[in-house]
Amino acid sequence: MTNPTTTVTAPTSRTADIAASRRRTASATTARRQGLGRAIASEWIKIRTLRSTWIGMALVVLVLVGFGGLAAATSTGSVAGPSDGGGGTDPLSVVLSGANFAVLVISVLGCLAGAREYSSRMIAATVAAVPRRWQVVVSKSIVFGAVTAVTAVTGVLGAFWLGMAILAGGDAATVALTDDDTLRELAGMAGYITAIGTFGLGLGILLRSIAGSIGAVVAGVMILPPLAGALLPASWDEILQYLPSSAGAAFTTVQGAGREVLSPGAGAAVLITWVIAALGGAIISISHRDA
Amino acid sequence: MIELQQLSKQYSDKVAVDGISAVIRPGVVTGFLGPNGAGKSTTMRMILGLDRPTSGTALVNGRPYAKTSAPLAEVGALLDAKGVDGGRSARNHLLWLGATVGVGARRVEEVLGTVGLTEVAGKPAGKFSLGMGQRLGIAAALLADPGVLILDEPVNGLDLDGIQWIRALLTELAEGGRTVLLSSHLMSEMQLVADHLLVIGQGRILADTSMDDFIADSSDGLVIVVSPDTNTLAPLLTGTGATVTSPEIGRLEVRGLTADAIGDAAALHKLRLHSLIPVEASLETAYLNLTRDSVEYTGANPHNTHSTTTTDARRAA
Ligand SMILES: Nc1ncnc2c1ncn2[C@@H]1O[C@H](COP(=O)(O)OP(=O)(O)O)[C@@H](O)[C@H]1O
Ligand SMILES: [Mg+2]
Repeated sequence: MTNPTTTVTAPTSRTADIAASRRRTASATTARRQGLGRAIASEWIKIRTLRSTWIGMALVVLVLVGFGGLAAATSTGSVAGPSDGGGGTDPLSVVLSGANFAVLVISVLGCLAGAREYSSRMIAATVAAVPRRWQVVVSKSIVFGAVTAVTAVTGVLGAFWLGMAILAGGDAATVALTDDDTLRELAGMAGYITAIGTFGLGLGILLRSIAGSIGAVVAGVMILPPLAGALLPASWDEILQYLPSSAGAAFTTVQGAGREVLSPGAGAAVLITWVIAALGGAIISISHRDA
Repeated sequence: MIELQQLSKQYSDKVAVDGISAVIRPGVVTGFLGPNGAGKSTTMRMILGLDRPTSGTALVNGRPYAKTSAPLAEVGALLDAKGVDGGRSARNHLLWLGATVGVGARRVEEVLGTVGLTEVAGKPAGKFSLGMGQRLGIAAALLADPGVLILDEPVNGLDLDGIQWIRALLTELAEGGRTVLLSSHLMSEMQLVADHLLVIGQGRILADTSMDDFIADSSDGLVIVVSPDTNTLAPLLTGTGATVTSPEIGRLEVRGLTADAIGDAAALHKLRLHSLIPVEASLETAYLNLTRDSVEYTGANPHNTHSTTTTDARRAA
């Protein structure tokens, strides 16, 4: 039987073998250096070649425009509503009534974008192709963030135009796009939706579980904050205003947890910090754990 | 070429790979052979940087894989044929992969053709059979024309046609100067494809040998020869040191020579061969003995260390 001790290679033959391997590779292929730009190009192909992306993004636009239009119609009295109208007297919050549903949908889409490759086990192919793994997180968040931003802007503008048209038709008060703060509020809402989606993406990569990350985001952003605001004593409000949804409430019409909100600028900074923390955690996790 | 230096991987409750050192050379197909759970997949995952070694290193063309500038063009790998997104078409799967190193649609169509998936390239990969999935995995491995190929159980799920196809493909790739490492838990598959054998059991290298040597050294390297010229052939083979017996007229049982060598010798002397049958069961048995010994030995001594590896393997040999 063969003597199984491992053969030690002579240095010269090793160098020759490496050279032979390299020479082959260099001559026969058109492959280029892998960098962040190519990682982004790759993630863009991934995201646009899944039908669920298009369905999900369409759903975000649909709930924004649909619920906004419905709330506007309800508040003018042309549609009988469950209570006395959508969001009270502020026309802008009426037409943005779909925001909560949009945030719910984008949370799910973000978590899917982050964790889907773990459930299909395709993540191995991804990190083999992009071994500098921070690029996987960064390129995914850039691509998902961009697609989400375009979607959210489309949905918010669509809700604004349809909602305002319905309000105007019902002789209710409206605001114009050129009015003070209108654009800022609309951009804020689109930004909030984008931020929560990207936050979900980070958690999806961090937790490696679609169900787990959806549960965490939906609970942390949508379910627990209002509960905490209602149940905890007022002394907690100082802390609660740093939750992602409260930070969003500082510059949008979404509901915060406590009675206090930060200034719009501080709220935006806090929200961005949450997103960066989730993505940073995702980078640390993906870089150190086995794929 | 791939170099493994004292490569080890310990999971929380289990040493999966235990101090492997080996060199996998270009120009030949190296078979990575070992029973299920021997540590083949874990070793391959460490070469690709998917799993972090507990200790030791794995180098591809002299560098860690993660440090290569165009990874997909350095190593093409098929590790998990089911590891694709079922909602994306085969073509789009290859497109996103290729995009990481700037390989585009033209090359994607080329490899789809090579593996015979052109017709179904637009179908969602989730609808693929196991064999089609393996072909997609092979297409992905070939995509950026890498110098090193790592294929984990690529024959799994392929029909006989598929096996023959992959055998021809791998041989051609190796002849083109590539490094080809493929794993299997079946000796019968390796026999067909591999030029060199790396046998692994319980996370340790049990044999690192050319296929020809393994065959020749197998305790019972029996070849059955049917020929009308046995009278001339028998002394000829005996002359080269082989043991030859003749259980009946026109039939020889040869030990100590490979079928290739017997065929060549016969051709050289213009002798007719009607059958030339390597008795493969012996190879399978040799492999089983090699790995079974290792399993028993380590089973009795679960805490033994690297220093015992060689003795362990010698004992097996
Ligand atoms: N992620 C993991 N966690 C714990 N144990 C693992 C893990 N992956 C593999 N193992 C164990 O390591 C051993 C080697 O596995 P593997 O490399 O898959 O073997 P092979 O590919 O040769 O069948 C097996 O006992 C397996 O159960
Ligand atoms: Mg395996």
